[in-house]
Amino acid sequence: MGAYRVLGLETSCDETAAAIVEADRGDDGTSGGQTLAQALRSQIDEHRPFGGVVPEIAARAHLDILDGLVARALADSGLALRDLDAVAATAGPGLIGGVLVGVMTAKALALASGLPFIAVNHLEAHALTARLQGGLAFPYLLVLASGGHCQFLAVEGVGACRRLGTTIDDAAGEAFDKAAKMLGLGHPGGPAVEKAARLGDPARFALPRPLVGRPGCDLSFSGLKTALRQTVERLGPTPPTPQDIHDLCAGFQQAIADCLADRARAARHLFAQRHGPGHALVLAGGVAANQTLRAALARVADEAGMVFAAPPPALCTDNAAMVAWTGIERLRLGLTDPLDFRARPRWPLDPDAPPATGAGRVKA
Amino acid sequence: MSTAAPTLALDTALAACSVAVTLPDGRASARTIPMERGQAEALVPLIASVLEEAGLEPAAVGRIAVTVGPGSFTGLRVGLATARGLGLALGCPVEGITVGEALADAVLDEAPDACVLVLIDSRRGDLFAQTFQGRDAHGLPRPLDDPRALPPDAARAAATQAGILLVGDGVARLDLGEAGPALPDPVRVARLAGRRPADAVRPPVPLYLRPPDARPAPNGGRLWA
Repeated sequence: MGAYRVLGLETSCDETAAAIVEADRGDDGTSGGQTLAQALRSQIDEHRPFGGVVPEIAARAHLDILDGLVARALADSGLALRDLDAVAATAGPGLIGGVLVGVMTAKALALASGLPFIAVNHLEAHALTARLQGGLAFPYLLVLASGGHCQFLAVEGVGACRRLGTTIDDAAGEAFDKAAKMLGLGHPGGPAVEKAARLGDPARFALPRPLVGRPGCDLSFSGLKTALRQTVERLGPTPPTPQDIHDLCAGFQQAIADCLADRARAARHLFAQRHGPGHALVLAGGVAANQTLRAALARVADEAGMVFAAPPPALCTDNAAMVAWTGIERLRLGLTDPLDFRARPRWPLDPDAPPATGAGRVKA
Repeated sequence: MSTAAPTLALDTALAACSVAVTLPDGRASARTIPMERGQAEALVPLIASVLEEAGLEPAAVGRIAVTVGPGSFTGLRVGLATARGLGLALGCPVEGITVGEALADAVLDEAPDACVLVLIDSRRGDLFAQTFQGRDAHGLPRPLDDPRALPPDAARAAATQAGILLVGDGVARLDLGEAGPALPDPVRVARLAGRRPADAVRPPVPLYLRPPDARPAPNGGRLWA
């Protein structure tokens, strides 16, 4: 049957990446695929002085380096464009200046080589990445937790995601970033808070668990952020000690883990009503790199006899292999896009879901 | 100076989407669609249709020319990402031409020794300006200064010097009367790319003329000093 080989480009936030993924043509996607090459450059250093991602700085950096990364991925794979089957790029949601760099590069490569172009929804790429490893069939319950999004989705197929719940304000990753900023731990915040939390006592400071126990499975993190600020202010006029900071991080991370776990239990219930037992619970998105949150959600899966799956950390944070893999999943179904495709700064995965503040949103 | 292979030229720097193909025998095909936005959707299909009109497969293109600015930041990136993607896929050189060179070149066709002030509306309050006089030995407009951003008053003062000819969409913005073309002609962009000697080619890198709008967070956003 031969193989599908797709080039994927990712430029929707502060990672510039190109990757080539290969998969068996005769498969339905459950056997997964192989990453033949990937070239990725993070812009963390460019954005660090600003305490968050600056869209114009990101867009400029993507243009400067994307074509070089594509050339490197091709060289590393030993393939030429004519050996590929399609060119896929993240076409939203995300910071539109960067998204356009990836989309235009992909459209140009497609026109010049005669290959089909595939416009990939960045959220669908996160949602389908767990299948790249192989062994994961539809449907599954997805916890998508990143710097821009925090949602529970029933992933029923390619192009078929049903949103069960979402954050009504901040994303989980955004909460980590803001906490790190307030505590002087720098950008990006997730790894810094996780590291500090290892040395802290999660029980020392009482922080709230917003929406826990409420009907549905929506999430909220903005009150938690406010509570953290007030807790620091109550410590008095002198700066917090290192131990204070460790304890604050541990308490904050535990609060997010508790919220995610409680809301995931509610989502698990909603998912089981529709799809019954025996399916997997998948954690994806940059926040999935956090070991405490991974463990909390693994427990939620285990309680219900669900298989827990999370892509390795390098596939949880933004990358191009997930875009290339989604390109393969779509190509298999004949889903390609015209060269006049309009990139979408907002692009909800489930267009039928009622709007919620924060849904489908990417912020700095 | 003629070129040995067809040149494909792109311009999305200002309020249009323009594509041209010039052939070694001097023939050219070109299309310009005026638009404030939407270049990211229009550009690649327009390239396909201009190539088809010229009877060329993409692989026949031997050089790509693209406007690098000054202009709309998003427009510059749309044109440059496309040009660089094409250059990578086709294995051909990609050359940058400034919007100022393309506009001044049109005025110099009528008045070969004139002093030309290019004024481009930045759509952010100020104007992008550059002065040229005559052409150099390669036939390229000869710059008298570097391109720069000017507040409207300074741009107006520069524009009212005796004997200077004006060109660009900034002329109408300052109500300075009749001027040369407001948009780069893509055929001209293609031909300018053929004139520059190989060791002086401008890389396909944007000419933003303005740093990104971003201020470092005071104290990094930390709650205490």
